Amino acid sequence: MNLEKVIFGFFIIFACTLNFGFFIGEIDRPELHHPFELFAAVVVNLIATVLKFGDRTQLGATHLATSLVASFQLLAASMFWAWQLYVLGSPITSDGISTIVSLSGGALLANVFSVVLLLGETLRQGR
Amino acid sequence: MSGMSDVFFLVMRRLRAPLITLITVYAISVAGLALIPGTAADGSPGRMSIFHAFYVMSYTATTIGFGELPRPFNDAQRMWVIFSIYLSVIGWAYTLGSVIALTNHATFRALLARAMFNWRVRGIAEPFYILCGYGQSGSRLARALDRLGNRLVIVEPRSERIDRVAIQDFSTPPLTLTADGRLADVLADCGIRSPHCLGLIALAGEDAVNQAIAIGARVLNPALQIVARAKSSVAKVNLESFGGVQVINPFETFAFNLGVSLRAPEALQVEEWLTAALGTPCPTLVRPPRGRWLLVGYGRFGHEIASVLDREKIEWKAFDPGSPGDSDRRLQHGDYIENILRDRNVDDADVLVAGADVDAVNLGATTLARRVKPDLFVVIRQNHAQDRVLIDAANANVKFVQSDLMVHECLQLLKTPTLSRFIGYLRNADVTVARATIDRVLAEVGEGAPRAWTIDCDAMRPGMFSALFQHGDEPFTIAHLVTDPTSRQERMNASALMLERSDKPQLLPGDDIALKPGDRVLFVGDDISRRLQQRYLDEPSTVEWVRAGSEPPRGILFRRWRQRRLKRSSRIPG
Repeated sequence: MNLEKVIFGFFIIFACTLNFGFFIGEIDRPELHHPFELFAAVVVNLIATVLKFGDRTQLGATHLATSLVASFQLLAASMFWAWQLYVLGSPITSDGISTIVSLSGGALLANVFSVVLLLGETLRQGR
Repeated sequence: MSGMSDVFFLVMRRLRAPLITLITVYAISVAGLALIPGTAADGSPGRMSIFHAFYVMSYTATTIGFGELPRPFNDAQRMWVIFSIYLSVIGWAYTLGSVIALTNHATFRALLARAMFNWRVRGIAEPFYILCGYGQSGSRLARALDRLGNRLVIVEPRSERIDRVAIQDFSTPPLTLTADGRLADVLADCGIRSPHCLGLIALAGEDAVNQAIAIGARVLNPALQIVARAKSSVAKVNLESFGGVQVINPFETFAFNLGVSLRAPEALQVEEWLTAALGTPCPTLVRPPRGRWLLVGYGRFGHEIASVLDREKIEWKAFDPGSPGDSDRRLQHGDYIENILRDRNVDDADVLVAGADVDAVNLGATTLARRVKPDLFVVIRQNHAQDRVLIDAANANVKFVQSDLMVHECLQLLKTPTLSRFIGYLRNADVTVARATIDRVLAEVGEGAPRAWTIDCDAMRPGMFSALFQHGDEPFTIAHLVTDPTSRQERMNASALMLERSDKPQLLPGDDIALKPGDRVLFVGDDISRRLQQRYLDEPSTVEWVRAGSEPPRGILFRRWRQRRLKRSSRIPG
């Protein structure tokens, strides 16, 4: 067992699950989508992105690309949230939360790709 | 390899751990601050939002410290902020330390230097030469090429030599790389495949290195002009048999020239004058006596001279402390100076070749021999640049300085290959041709050493097209090419030395020879003439003007009118 592989896999799957946890629930009900879950998803996604730095293989490059996409989508979602709440000064309505959740949905898709790449790599090496 | 992405990936790989630490530190601090019960604006309990927590941590962790925003903290929050401050300071210290360590890292610096070099070479948009090896010959050639307005890319494995480039006087600083030119990727990074690369010169210290560089360069860019130095005849033959590489053996070249000066000193005089720095007066004729020769030092240099003397059937004796394996009876071993003074060697000799690889020995031998026979003809070899003053003071009849000779030969091959072919023909031609050359240049150009250039009768150039194909009744001659394009009666300070037509040379062609497409003419003259002459290549109106004495009409209307008039006038006699 390789500790590096464990940490790598842990963060990729963790990023995906946190993302999923925030995404799940009716899209227009703010009370079903907790800001802390989004915060955790952003942090874990950033760590997953940094972990993928510096791998020059084709697979490594695709890995990095999926993580970058997910991080950008989640950061966009959280920035939209902060803008809505503090700059515009209006509470999060069903309109606002559906934008945030749909952005995180895009990030979820990228994270799923990331997990698929991870599984594919693992299966190929198992043979 | 792609240099910049190497650097980028190295940075990303090395900064992985610090970045993850930083993200974790921020995440813990922000989450903690957002979770701790705080006090809202109206005094009721409430939590700080993630946005505000991130704001507070952003200015606190970077030690900017705006204070307690957006409203005063309670003590629980303050305790957490104390903790976060220390945590984030550690995080930042670790990250910055890693960044600084990275910039000091030797691998990183080498990669960065290589990437910058690569990027700069790709940015060169003018003709340049690649110079491999920056020793005595290399640095002098570099400065000579720089003065002639060429950009340079220098590769040298020793960094202390590369450092010298920065403190030397260049009009355009050369691009330098500390690397081994034998590696194909180094040559590729030097821009060997660039369309602007004019040639590669291999002047490394060892023959094997030059051989590897030349062969690598030839494989990477078969169309490139490659000049390499080979000090042994084996390496020279090897490289020449490989093809496409011009090889200079300094010892052989010098010995060959000495042989030329024995048979036809005028040819050597022409060579020295035409390849000297601009404005140098014509050198005096050096005519070494045939008599008996004494060779001090019988290494590679001595061998080459001895073989030329053998070819010329001249009697010689050599002294060398080493090489006892050689059983030539003309060769004596032992201390040089002792041998020179013994057996009346010097009294019988006419020429002394002080060609050892130690300057002190050469100087000592010269001084001692002259004490015995003051009118001895002396050929002296200088090995080190720092001994130049001493060797000059010895006042020998002929001086061999390897770096001088290399610069001379390389410049000839690189800048005026036609001139070096001309000199080659001259060596085999009659002595009168060499004498006539000097007389012609003295009469038509002047006292100072002229510049040499080549005019290609290239029909693709607009002026040349007009000269060669239009109004064919009057041929375009060499006389036209040396006429001043600004005033038709005057002759420029230029002189044609050779006409090459389908690779057959005609030395000292007459002015009345009509030019044909594909002809190549070697000219010598002053710089102004060279520049004025370019007009004949590019401006049809100048060509017509010098031929007919009138400016041709430029507008389409006038041109038609003139054509019609010409047609009418040609119909009358027919």
